[in-house]
Amino acid sequence: MVKTTVLGSSKSSLLVAVLCCGLAPAQSSSSVASTIVASANGFLSLLDEGQRSKVLFEFNDAAQRTKWSNLPTTMVPRAGLKMGDLSGPQRKAAMGLLAAALSNRGYEKVLAIVEGDEVLRAAGGGGGAMFGRDLFYISILGKPSVKDPWMVQFGGHHLALNITMAGFDGILTPSLTAAQPAKYTVDGKTVRPLGAENDKAFALINALDEGQRKQAILNYKVADLVLGPGQDGKTIQPEGIKCSAMNGSQQAMLLDLVGEWAGIVNEPAAAARMAEIKADLSETWFAWSGPTTNGMPAYYRIQGPTVVIEYAPQPLGGDPTMHIHTIYRDPTNDYGKKSVGRLVPSR
Amino acid sequence: MKRMGVSALLALSLVGSAAAHRLDEYLQATLIGVTPAGIDVEIHLTPGVAMLPVLMAVIDQDGDGRISPEEERAYAGRVAREVELRVDGVAAPLWLTESNFPTLEAMREGLGTIRMKLHTARSGHALHFENRHLPQVSVYLVNCLAAPSDGLVVRRQKRDEAQRSIEFEYSFGAGTEAGPRAAWIALGPFWPAAIGIIMLVARMAVLIYRTKHDKRESRYSRVRSL
Repeated sequence: MVKTTVLGSSKSSLLVAVLCCGLAPAQSSSSVASTIVASANGFLSLLDEGQRSKVLFEFNDAAQRTKWSNLPTTMVPRAGLKMGDLSGPQRKAAMGLLAAALSNRGYEKVLAIVEGDEVLRAAGGGGGAMFGRDLFYISILGKPSVKDPWMVQFGGHHLALNITMAGFDGILTPSLTAAQPAKYTVDGKTVRPLGAENDKAFALINALDEGQRKQAILNYKVADLVLGPGQDGKTIQPEGIKCSAMNGSQQAMLLDLVGEWAGIVNEPAAAARMAEIKADLSETWFAWSGPTTNGMPAYYRIQGPTVVIEYAPQPLGGDPTMHIHTIYRDPTNDYGKKSVGRLVPSR
Repeated sequence: MKRMGVSALLALSLVGSAAAHRLDEYLQATLIGVTPAGIDVEIHLTPGVAMLPVLMAVIDQDGDGRISPEEERAYAGRVAREVELRVDGVAAPLWLTESNFPTLEAMREGLGTIRMKLHTARSGHALHFENRHLPQVSVYLVNCLAAPSDGLVVRRQKRDEAQRSIEFEYSFGAGTEAGPRAAWIALGPFWPAAIGIIMLVARMAVLIYRTKHDKRESRYSRVRSL
């Protein structure tokens, strides 16, 4: 087993610097927050009164806040406005709001997940009526503002984004990303919405030495997410290998893997989030269940003081590697509870 | 919305709603909360689409195709009997405190979850939990909740490969004060001795009082006789 201080080596520091550069804020958090607010107001200005009453909720509407799921919207109805009910310009503005709130790669990931559901619809899954890009919903909790907290929710089958804006801070937890099919082709090009989450994790588990793998690999099967939808406010005991028992290169690989979730939100928010997770890296754990050969279904969990990530292939009557569920949480700041608490009320 | 023109689709062998949810398994997910005041066990039971007939054969005792409140209670009771909790090596009875059943329609679509909460007032230092309910058709998850506010420290978690059972040792960090309820519970095995001590102290108090009273009476009687 290799023991080093957390990201102590110069090589690892370089790696992390490179990773953080990838998430470095090209714009300030204040200008990004202003852009997101402007995008939200632009979207709302295109709606009629009836639509506005459907899409807007009180910021403290706890029922709406927690009303998200991995399941199709025909099974677990979502409130808000359905993409399929919007006009072209309205839909474009809604997606523009999402693009402003997310990083480029985060937005691309979301589009790939939504498009995967369209593939599922076209293939006749569920009779085609419960899947597709038209069945995603958007809602706004609170009034878009750079001073007061507000929230954008976007989701449907296999996707739940909960983006809380608290001043200039953007918080993405809790959010669920998933994919089915986990691999499809578009214009001859293979799309894997969660491919990096899979490949980087297999690279990490295989970068561990035998002793480290023995710590990381759980001796039991994990059939599903433990802290998925409906498990807000819960945290489980961590297991696996502690990052303080990894060398700098392995730690950098883990941070890079975490970035697949933390980097979905816009760049300034992602950079702040990565710094927070990096600061607690020595107290962060990595656990694995399943084979270590890429291409086989394996569950993993990354858990630290401010982060819980789970990746769970779903054995639901088909190839588990083609159906992935993931969850991304911050036990201390889900729905921005910590960030919102720091805000000075504007009224 | 940025659109990607889908030119080629995978041959997805997806049949109906099975594409979205659990099919032929009964997922039994358990979260165990350990506090100084006792142990809470929360079980979520989610039958797959193809599992429902099997489950209905167990729950729907009168075969009318519905689940009555009596049948719900009977089933919840059965689950409670088929899980076992041992604290410090001694069986700790779990009391069913809450159970919620989804609609049959939800279960038919594979998204209905039966939720149960159980509790024991026992607390200790080592816990073993085992779920023996419908093992032939089930997959299991079992985890211990973290409770930093209680200073809970969990060591040596062990599970079997299927996660039907878990055992671990635990303690509560320094500075964590067991509440009055916890002290009450912790005294449990020593109640006979405790009652004996209380009675002894009470008897001694009575004797001391009588002795003092007698002395005072004799003093008063001496004063009166003067």
